[in-house]
Amino acid sequence: MNGELQPPVDTTVDLGGIVLKNPVIAASGCYNRGAEYGRVADLSAWGAITLKSVTRQPRLGNDMPRVANTPAGMVNAIGLQGPGIEYFLKVEAPKLADVPTAIIASVAGFTTLEFADVAARLDGLPNVVAIELDISCPNVESEGGACFAADPDATAAVVRAVKRRARLPVIAKLTPNVTDLRPIALAAEAAGANALSLINSVRGMVIDVEQTRPMLANATGGLTGPAIRPIAVAAVWDVAQAVKLPVIGMGGIASGRDAVEFMLAGASAVSIGTAVFRDPQAHLRVARALSEEAQRRGLASVRALAGLANPTFAAQRARR
Amino acid sequence: MNGRRERLNVMASAAPVLEAAALVTREYIAPGFWYLGCRAPKIARAARAAQFVAIDVPGEFSPRLPLGIWTAEADQVSFLFREWGDRTTRLARLHHNAEVSLLGPLGNAFEAPPEGARAIIAAGGLGIVPFWLLVKTLAASAVDMHVVVGARSKELIVGVDALTELGAKIHLCTDDGSAGRKGSVVDEVRDVARTGDVVYGCGPRAMLKALCEFANAAGVACQISMEETFGCSMGTCWGCVVPVKRESAQGTQYPRAPDERRAYDVARVCADGTVFRAADVLWPG
Repeated sequence: MNGELQPPVDTTVDLGGIVLKNPVIAASGCYNRGAEYGRVADLSAWGAITLKSVTRQPRLGNDMPRVANTPAGMVNAIGLQGPGIEYFLKVEAPKLADVPTAIIASVAGFTTLEFADVAARLDGLPNVVAIELDISCPNVESEGGACFAADPDATAAVVRAVKRRARLPVIAKLTPNVTDLRPIALAAEAAGANALSLINSVRGMVIDVEQTRPMLANATGGLTGPAIRPIAVAAVWDVAQAVKLPVIGMGGIASGRDAVEFMLAGASAVSIGTAVFRDPQAHLRVARALSEEAQRRGLASVRALAGLANPTFAAQRARR
Repeated sequence: MNGRRERLNVMASAAPVLEAAALVTREYIAPGFWYLGCRAPKIARAARAAQFVAIDVPGEFSPRLPLGIWTAEADQVSFLFREWGDRTTRLARLHHNAEVSLLGPLGNAFEAPPEGARAIIAAGGLGIVPFWLLVKTLAASAVDMHVVVGARSKELIVGVDALTELGAKIHLCTDDGSAGRKGSVVDEVRDVARTGDVVYGCGPRAMLKALCEFANAAGVACQISMEETFGCSMGTCWGCVVPVKRESAQGTQYPRAPDERRAYDVARVCADGTVFRAADVLWPG
């Protein structure tokens, strides 16, 4: 290029109407609204921060212990602890105005109606650009005794109920703890979801062999961290081929290379969760690496990386 | 911060920093126990008693390992830890001058006793860690201090010499009677403490529970530094909680409490603690 400056890579992404300045998102349950990590990291470098899931009622969560370390990751069973929507709106919501980037609110519930009731109250909050539906927490059970995202009809019912009541774009967060994610993803799409997040944590367990009992009070928990990355990449690969919706890929992303891997599989954005527990500045490294990778390949935008390794996804997108 | 939070936070602290530290000393000090000294001037300057750092242990991915700060002098901080799992094993194998990333100091700190009050310090095993900084600070203001140190047996007692050097009066207790009193730290505290003293504690859960029960029943002020398995170490994951006696955040009572008659909330050990007042902690089970 004869020393000529290359035009900067366009880092913006449009996730079904959710426009972010870059595709690097803080995953729910790991970051609160950023106040803690903001002491040692630049929050404005996130494309968005996803809040911890809010429920209708206050919840104490599970008994201790709630976390245990595992090879290349950790298991957790927090149990959706939180103060509930009333407190959230009164005390937490006004503080969202201070967050220097976009916010995705996360909603969890135990009935379809609860999801809709809570989601309906999140319109108009400062900086909140979307609602993520946590229909896939492995550590609590819905009314029917199973996770919503284990079933296409239950998934569709929640998405439809929320779309009827909320004006914000809706992201359905799906679980890998199923035989085939595709019919569930298609059901969420048909019900009107704007985007999909995948994957939530993988059900797992650690036993304390000396004490002869499970490490977690909840016995089982959700495995996160690099240990689950290949599972997540395969899930993104499968679902990105099957649906037209943008997919936010997550599960063990700890480096720029990992984020590129998810984009190449078909993700339109990526979320980082457990990795910030090691590197509070992981998002800076990842965002920079995505730009550099696009530049290295001569692409004008980071979003052009999406699906480059996934021919079926690429062919489908070309038809659109 | 609202009034409730202030009441619970025993002492607010300076903001943590990320600091690249060089490992300068590593010693095997007792069966399974290591001493680690790191050059980390910013953290050394800011550290206060009962604060901890979260160490990025080089190698395979894992969340940062929380380690209580033992000494903090000039440009160095040190830690005492037991080798028991993957991260501590890797930490114990680091070579001299290895660079590690420290995040800290984290958590709140012990509060000094009121003018004229004695400090009775109860340390069970590695629970001695937060007390070098406390003893050092209190020695500077000539507080009368008694440090009760307990371990299963004599060879597992660590850190006592350093506290003796700072001028603390040491009372030893061992479960097997191989050093000092044959009995528990709490037995000794019960004999030593009197009204008007401030009791400080750190150690195994059962010891802390017994210490709090004693202090609450005797009407003696008591602050304890608690330990739990942390996820994030920063207060975001809610993986390390302890039930505490306070109006819950929403001003309503949670539906499930260990003692249904009282309002209760859960606090994060890593971010709202690690120091709590004995009178605030509830002990389920």
